[in-house]
Amino acid sequence: MCGGVTASLRRTGGVAGLAVRAALRTKTVAALLVLLAVCVAVLPGVVKGDGTPEGELQILLTYTLGFAFGILCLSTLWAACALFAAEIDNARMQLSAVKPVRAAEFWLGKWLALLCLNALVLAAVYAGVYGQMAWRMRRNGWAEADRPVSRHAAHPVLPTPKEEAREAYEVLRRQDALPKGMSKAAVLKTLEAKADEKYDVINPGEEVRWRFRLKRPVGVKKAEPVTVWIRFDTEFSTREHVTGVCSLSVAGQPERAVKVDLDDFTQNEIEFAVDTRAFTEGTTGTGGLRDFEVAFRHTGNAKRVSALMLRFRKDVELLTPGGTFGANLARAACVQWSVLALLAGFGLTLSACFSLPVAAFVATLLLALTLVGNSVVQAVSEDDEKEWGNRVGIWISRGVSAATRPAMRAEPLTALTRGERLEVDVLGRAALWNVVWLPALFAIAGCWVLRRRELADTD
Amino acid sequence: MAMDTKNVIETRGLKKTFLDFWRRPTVEAVKSLDLTVRQGEVFGLLGPNGSGKSTTIKMLLGLLHPTGGELRVLGARPDDMRAKARIGYLPEVSHLHPFLTPRETLRYYASLFGMTRVEAAKRTEELLAMVDLAQASDRAVGRFSKGMARRVGLAQALVNAPELLVLDEPTSGLDPIGCREVKDLVRILAKTGVTVLMTSHLLADVEDVCDRVAILDGGVLRAEGKIAELLRQPDAVRFLIEGLDDEAAESLRLELEARAGRRVRQDYPAMSLETFFLQVVAKEGRARDFALAPFLARPAAGQREGGTCAEA
Ligand SMILES: Nc1ncnc2c1ncn2[C@@H]1O[C@H](COP(=O)(O)OP(=O)(O)OP(=O)(O)O)[C@@H](O)[C@H]1O
Ligand SMILES: [Mg+2]
Repeated sequence: MCGGVTASLRRTGGVAGLAVRAALRTKTVAALLVLLAVCVAVLPGVVKGDGTPEGELQILLTYTLGFAFGILCLSTLWAACALFAAEIDNARMQLSAVKPVRAAEFWLGKWLALLCLNALVLAAVYAGVYGQMAWRMRRNGWAEADRPVSRHAAHPVLPTPKEEAREAYEVLRRQDALPKGMSKAAVLKTLEAKADEKYDVINPGEEVRWRFRLKRPVGVKKAEPVTVWIRFDTEFSTREHVTGVCSLSVAGQPERAVKVDLDDFTQNEIEFAVDTRAFTEGTTGTGGLRDFEVAFRHTGNAKRVSALMLRFRKDVELLTPGGTFGANLARAACVQWSVLALLAGFGLTLSACFSLPVAAFVATLLLALTLVGNSVVQAVSEDDEKEWGNRVGIWISRGVSAATRPAMRAEPLTALTRGERLEVDVLGRAALWNVVWLPALFAIAGCWVLRRRELADTD
Repeated sequence: MAMDTKNVIETRGLKKTFLDFWRRPTVEAVKSLDLTVRQGEVFGLLGPNGSGKSTTIKMLLGLLHPTGGELRVLGARPDDMRAKARIGYLPEVSHLHPFLTPRETLRYYASLFGMTRVEAAKRTEELLAMVDLAQASDRAVGRFSKGMARRVGLAQALVNAPELLVLDEPTSGLDPIGCREVKDLVRILAKTGVTVLMTSHLLADVEDVCDRVAILDGGVLRAEGKIAELLRQPDAVRFLIEGLDDEAAESLRLELEARAGRRVRQDYPAMSLETFFLQVVAKEGRARDFALAPFLARPAAGQREGGTCAEA
């Protein structure tokens, strides 16, 4: 009766079913659903935007989804904290624990229940937001250019700021020009920040070139040209009166470049129509990526117009079609769901170790540390670390930040508002870290504790 | 000492000391307990409050870890999955999930034994009928009376048709009919080869159903053995004669005294209150027609009615 994979699946399913029933029959969960419904249905109407389609999108994608996700994070974490702890505290676990169920089956069953519930709730929230958006688009008659999009975004191929900082450090060291009284880490940090902010100065009459590596666009028919956009994120004041010629070509084929004259630099996205064959013909690089070159020539009058300054690591992007916005919304939901899966696993393991109040306290504390940890790590300076009290705080923040960085790397809402496609590798990484590796670690720890713990009523 | 694996439960020098938060010992709940329960036996664990009965049971089921000693249940350690699949347990307090109905409760526990949906559904309906809860099977357990909840608890203990049934105060919260039914059930199960370990404060209940008992006090085993042997007064004998009037009884007593050369006492045994209650309820037509009814014809042990008793 206890051997066999199918029997094990039935036990796991039984545990999951109980947790789902418990959730569906408690008032707290009903209250949560009402709160989420209010958040999706009412919040976008109450928060006043600037009236532009962009503003409305911002409210829907950032505030509504962000707020709903925040609520779901906390509720998932607390629900997970309760799943073992409450059952052990109120002695209901005794009846289940004497049955032939492995600790892993208990853990997995409860985790899967949370995953299913989260998937359902997230799907409803995202569907609600999508519906709101479609309704607003129709009601207000948004222009094609205002509608939300999903595009691949590529930055120029360059060494990362970190690599560049390391190189610059070596150069300084060889020249014996390192600043005195600064640690290596501090110097590297400064150099990295500088590399990140580096810019090209393009004087009238001059030209710059950047190399890009592009993916094959999604959902483009062979016969139609591909639309490619270059996005310049410049200071508004420097955009005025700038004129130029922008050209895009497959690397090594400058003769087949597509050129666009620019006389209105205030529009920061420049559209090109590129022959689809540019992405498909000839040899392609690793992973189906293709090298393209973008050249920008400043054609303004040197007497009247100033130079154009562009931080090439941040301000220049090449965008290609990346499927529908709806599909991107679904991908964002998947990334958020993966974070919830991670929180569920984390909460469950705390729940296996501690009583409910302790588990919930520890979980909330660590969540708060994760949220502030990253900003603390960004903000600390050399001086902050001199004091002992500060140093302990910084170490904890660094530890938490390092541990949670892989899980938090994908920023689905930022991508959505910027109209950037959440790429498969981002999704894959989120799934691997948040739904496989880290939960597996938590599961192992949780099961270890469950097997060793006395599950009779403890007071 | 080697443990005999043929015994269903065997403990040697079993100890449990509870510790506080700082891991300092607080209570020595069980002190070096040697216990043997054999296959097919109904074994009663008796003792005053706090004597360590529930603690012992929880150690046998792996819910508490012994501080010392050895124990084997169905020839295995308490955390053995195959052994767990053959055990049914009813705790002191049923601890059911209040938001589930009895039907869902039983199906949930059936699923924990890896039963298929069909098996689980079939077993659930059988058990619901057996504990007479078919009518209430779609109401949440949280609103049940104590006795009704106890019946659900009992049903879940039987969901896997266990070989070893561990019942911690099974009759607590039950009305006399319910008590009687539980006792009958235990007897029937014992007849089919199920081993039962039960505790109870109602000594009459234990006397009615148990083959052997152990008495715990302060975590120490004070007495153990067959009930008949433990309770037998070796130098006394008792006769039961029905249909004698007072006069005839008195003359018989005197005659016996003369013959035996010892004092003979005479009394009039009353029927037990339980029997009286069951008769009254039966007259009112309220006796439950239980799934156990076919087995109820057999009178429970120790139930004698009417007649005169003489004890020498
Ligand atoms: N989890 C626990 N922590 C600390 N002490 C405990 C714990 N459980 C039981 N005890 C103590 O162990 C002793 C034995 O308790 P146990 O519940 O086994 O008694 P019992 O014989 O079942 O009593 P009752 O007849 O009242 O059910 C008691 O003194 C009790 O206070
Ligand atoms: Mg007890």
